[in-house]
Amino acid sequence: MAATSKAYKSQTVESGFSLRSLTHLLGSQEFILLMSILALSLVVYSDNPRFGTERNLLNILSNASYIAVGAIGMSMVIITGNIDVSVGSLIGVLATIAGQLAVHDYPIWMAWTAPILAAMVVEGFIGFLVAYLRIPAIVVTLGMMSILKGGLILATGGAWIYDIPQEFFLAQRQPYGIPMPIYFMVTLVILAALWMHYSPTGRAIYAVGGNAEAARLSGISEKRTLMTVFILHGFMIGVAGLLFATQFTTIQSTVPPGLELMIITAAVVGGVSILGGSGTVIGAMLGAILIRVIQSGMIFLNVSAYWLQAVQGILILLTVLADILRRRRQAASIGK
Amino acid sequence: MKKLLVSLILLAMLVAPLAAVLPAKAQDDLPTNPLACPWEEEEAAEAEEGEEAEATEEPMEYNGGQPVNPPDLKGKPIRVLDLPKLIGIAYFAATTKGLNEAAEELGNVTIITDAPTEANVDDQITFIENYVTQGIDVIAFASNDPVAISPALRRALQAGVHVIGFDADSEPDAREWFVNQATFNGMAKALIDSMVEEVGEDANVAIVTSSLTAPNQNRWISEMLAYAEKCYPNLNFLETVPSEEDQQLAFQRAQELVNKYGEELDGIFAMSSVAGPGVADALTQMGVCDQTISVGISTPNQMRPFIKNGCAPKVVLWNPIDLGYATTYVIRAVVDGELVPGDTEVEAGRLGTLPVINGSEILLGPPTVFTVDNIDDFDF
Repeated sequence: MAATSKAYKSQTVESGFSLRSLTHLLGSQEFILLMSILALSLVVYSDNPRFGTERNLLNILSNASYIAVGAIGMSMVIITGNIDVSVGSLIGVLATIAGQLAVHDYPIWMAWTAPILAAMVVEGFIGFLVAYLRIPAIVVTLGMMSILKGGLILATGGAWIYDIPQEFFLAQRQPYGIPMPIYFMVTLVILAALWMHYSPTGRAIYAVGGNAEAARLSGISEKRTLMTVFILHGFMIGVAGLLFATQFTTIQSTVPPGLELMIITAAVVGGVSILGGSGTVIGAMLGAILIRVIQSGMIFLNVSAYWLQAVQGILILLTVLADILRRRRQAASIGK
Repeated sequence: MKKLLVSLILLAMLVAPLAAVLPAKAQDDLPTNPLACPWEEEEAAEAEEGEEAEATEEPMEYNGGQPVNPPDLKGKPIRVLDLPKLIGIAYFAATTKGLNEAAEELGNVTIITDAPTEANVDDQITFIENYVTQGIDVIAFASNDPVAISPALRRALQAGVHVIGFDADSEPDAREWFVNQATFNGMAKALIDSMVEEVGEDANVAIVTSSLTAPNQNRWISEMLAYAEKCYPNLNFLETVPSEEDQQLAFQRAQELVNKYGEELDGIFAMSSVAGPGVADALTQMGVCDQTISVGISTPNQMRPFIKNGCAPKVVLWNPIDLGYATTYVIRAVVDGELVPGDTEVEAGRLGTLPVINGSEILLGPPTVFTVDNIDDFDF
């Protein structure tokens, strides 16, 4: 592993600031996404300048935040070649846990940290089943999705939580006029990006997803890496759940519909390869923002909101298609 | 990559015009029947008889079922099974409270409340069968599934037990009468009148509905548009957007509408109990309630903070205590032979005379509007 990364580094140093690395940057998923977001925003803005108001832009970013935080963990999971379809249900459960603690007069710090710990336990359990018992992640998380969804309805009977103390609403705060969720999104994305790029464990995630056999031969423990990834993913989902729960004055004790799909879409559209082995959390964040820009833009352009689902589907298909084509081309050029 | 981008752009160009010709509809094609405007109500009350005969040329015939050889309990004490969808939630605690209130007034009715702790029709069927076997005079139910509960109710009728529905109906022939909490045009009138009281009739309003295909919501919206056209032609409906049954999406939709229309937007109708808190929460957090308010269908507990902070000054629903209260009076009238097929109205204590509609339903009356003045009287 050390050898390959050194070789890779020296290669980039050699090419330096050449045209090739510039085209590489321009062709990267993150750059394309950023341009798409800007272009789309400009189109909507030229049609209705109110789209560009500070409040609307902050609303869009704030609404993208918990999706983006969730997509950080999801990206790691997908990069290792796994998937987690239970996150939407899990976030619903976490919001209920947080709300119940707050409404029953537990200290606020407990209501904030309990969902994070709970998510780490649940995802750690999923990670154990996947890493040590070798059950495919799609099977484990599909099962977990039903358990959480059913369990939540059994436990709450669908009753909403209200009369929550005001201090609980973390995501409603706006330090320096900027909604709190945006701080969480930016900080966590930067930390995760640095960790995945520089730490040995972070690099190991790519190695496990890219070529498990080579990773094993270079001394990486696949099981331990997977456990780390799922527990970290749990932490991120816990924070996403916290942001989700503290946004609303009343908490709907049911599973938010389609949330897992939105988080997975953000990661995949952000350039995380569903085949594993590549992708970045910055891309995933941009993916989440793109989804929200499209949603908001459709309202401003008077497009029926029902197109959103179709657009979301088209985005996934196109990025996956592009990813597979890119890999094929890479494989072909290596073959030469 | 380039080819891909080109095809993406082409696709977008193909799709965009399609989207424009297929706007969201969120209404149905059924005929609407707007009620009288507030200022017409008095005249309408005078002219009611002649007009009603014209409007409903053939009143629907009685289509309920009848018990087989029920014992004659006229004026005698009766035992009533109160079988709501589930117990343990505030809404049905309120209907039970109403049932008992009327039972105390009458003095010769005993209410036995027994129901599953989850909204499960199989459990409800077990309860019905157990009580019919043990012996009960009347079953008052709110069904979890109109079709699945019907065979068990028919067997109860066969066994000579009176069967009355409230809140959620079965198939009509599986019960004698159904106490209906609100009609579509009644809800529509209450919503529009409430909005106009808040923002005036020269106002711009938008609708956040549940899904664009939800039958109840579409019926309400059709009736609302018809009633507004008749009574407040200057009330301008900007657009209708869906929020599914998702509080987060309703929250986001309200933000988008406010950002899109700015101060032009005077009011938002929130058409479901999930959209209600989502929309009001968004208006609260944006701090725009002095320009834009929300009026919606929701429950008092969910909306209490927003009714009090003025972002959702009026919330429309029915009063579940009255619903239970009326049900007990209907039960007594049926057992005493005072409400028989073909009747057009029934006496219901403090609620006065309630009309019979749709053949075998008793209408509770106009919906209740929750405001800051009465919100603390309700807990459900």
